[in-house]
Amino acid sequence: MPYHEFDCSKCIPERKQHAVDKEPSEDLTSALPLGYLNTIPGSISERGCAYCGAKHVIGTPMKDVIHMSHGPIGCTYDTWQTKRYISDNNNFQLHYTYATDMKEKHVIFGAEKLLKQNIIEAFKAFPDIKRMSLYQTCASALIGDDINAIAEEVMEEMPEVDIFVCNSPGFAGPSQSGGHHKINIAWVNDKVGTFEPKITSDYVINYVGEYNIQGDQEVMVDYFKRMGIQVLSTFTGNGSYDDLRGMHLAHLNVLECARSAEYICNELRQRYGIPRMDIDGCGFEALSVSLKKIGLFFGIEDRAQAIIDEETARWKPELDWYRERLRGKKVCLWPGGSKLWHWAHAIHAEMGVEVVSVYTKFGHQGDMEKGIARCEVGALAIDDPNELESLEAMAKLQPDVIFTGKRPGEVGKKVRVPYLNAHAYHNGPYKGFEGWVRFARDIYNAIYSPIHQLSGLDISKDEIPTDKGFVTRKMISDVNLSEEVTASAELREYTGKYDSVSPLREKTYPNFPSSRQLSAV
Amino acid sequence: MEDMMKDQIEQLVNYIMKNCLWQFNSRAWDREKQNEGILTKTTQLLCDEPAEHETPVDRYYWAEAKCLTEGFQSQYLWLAALDKMEIKALMQGLKDRIDYLTITGSLNAELKDPNY
Repeated sequence: MPYHEFDCSKCIPERKQHAVDKEPSEDLTSALPLGYLNTIPGSISERGCAYCGAKHVIGTPMKDVIHMSHGPIGCTYDTWQTKRYISDNNNFQLHYTYATDMKEKHVIFGAEKLLKQNIIEAFKAFPDIKRMSLYQTCASALIGDDINAIAEEVMEEMPEVDIFVCNSPGFAGPSQSGGHHKINIAWVNDKVGTFEPKITSDYVINYVGEYNIQGDQEVMVDYFKRMGIQVLSTFTGNGSYDDLRGMHLAHLNVLECARSAEYICNELRQRYGIPRMDIDGCGFEALSVSLKKIGLFFGIEDRAQAIIDEETARWKPELDWYRERLRGKKVCLWPGGSKLWHWAHAIHAEMGVEVVSVYTKFGHQGDMEKGIARCEVGALAIDDPNELESLEAMAKLQPDVIFTGKRPGEVGKKVRVPYLNAHAYHNGPYKGFEGWVRFARDIYNAIYSPIHQLSGLDISKDEIPTDKGFVTRKMISDVNLSEEVTASAELREYTGKYDSVSPLREKTYPNFPSSRQLSAV
Repeated sequence: MEDMMKDQIEQLVNYIMKNCLWQFNSRAWDREKQNEGILTKTTQLLCDEPAEHETPVDRYYWAEAKCLTEGFQSQYLWLAALDKMEIKALMQGLKDRIDYLTITGSLNAELKDPNY
């Protein structure tokens, strides 16, 4: 895996150590991109800051909380217009965003009084909400406002409220990952163990690193409930503040996004002896193994197997319909975060696509180890790429589609590479068996959209053909398939509903009798 | 013979790298414990020997090992032809290789960081 040098970055030779080509007969000890370092001066980064990692990524998906930023109003950019971590309490966390609206005069004279006034005002405006997360930003950290002291003052005056303070201003680390670390450790230090939620099952888990993007978390919790498992807390998508204070009572921490949330699992393991189990919620095979090993841990693997059998029978023919049409398509897997490793092998094995590149914006070297280990030989792995490097990579690799966020996605569209939103999804959820088919459906729609035939025409010089009729996606995708495939009575397109999540909230679950207490957990 | 075992070990390494995540915990001491705990129990299961799973940590290693054992046995049918001694030698070779790839030979500069 020799290092890969971008032409556009030749003037910044240090960048060469941030990209590698996965070559045959080599392994992770041959080369590994550098990662989680300060962005090199002269280069441009598309990363988020530490405050963004703490508040926007981890904190704000908590659903029954006022999330107050102590800083300029611009820091609160992300809200319901841009985020899709939905919740089952009418998306309270997405409807409103709160900032103390610091101005220059507050930088000069201090903003603690302003902060206290804002906290009280917010609680009065939403009298049903008694919990708050308070985030330090660069502006208020630089002038030294003591937000912990203000939070204490308010809690003394308003004993019914509880405030969590997150000191992770934007400069707290080289990327948003620094903010992940800060909020994880702050939560376990300050809040875990301060609340005793009711335990209703012999089998209790925290579901960690799951943000409920378009309902992902609710799909997975459905499986857990069908197994008779109590999900004590979800860190933090659709999560409740008080449930998260009771994380110490779980028997097992089930971890999805290790980059953003392994810290709290590691600390709960060290402090409370709760094992950490990393799982994959994406891909039929990986998800099946994940459910099975959770079942094995609790001695209820038969319940997991029943779900796997039922879901596979229901959805596999639909996955295979898309697999036949996606086989051999080239994909740049540029999700920024944990999808790097959750998807790299699963989409190749189960959808037949070729992953030609992986990247991460804020990942550490450990994330690259996972991503490179799981992708195929020949892939280009890039740490913290900028727009120019992304464009050069697309020109070289000629992908059929890129999976990425909305900003780099728009760059891809400019050079006629369709993109699929890997952060907030197009038509998720993508987790679970049905979700995996929805993902395949969205990939199919991205690659085979007839618009791409038109988008390649330059109306200033190209002749616009008028002799061709409208083509559908299927007319493009099926032209090279055998009749055996196209006429298959077994394979079929996605048949699920537009909204696959809301019905889960109305479901009832089997009441498994409490047959025993786990002796050792 | 040696070449054949080397090839078999690489097949098992590839399975772990593609399908598992436990080998990549973020610190060297953690990876040592993970590799030891899970691969030891996998060896015991492959050899039909008892594998402790009473404490939470043992139960976790055992659950991972059960899934790994099933994966190995379904993917690599040649495993069924090996006797216990051969399996133990193979698994020791596998553990040495995984330790090298994830710990001793790893280029991950964060492995020795004292803080998570």
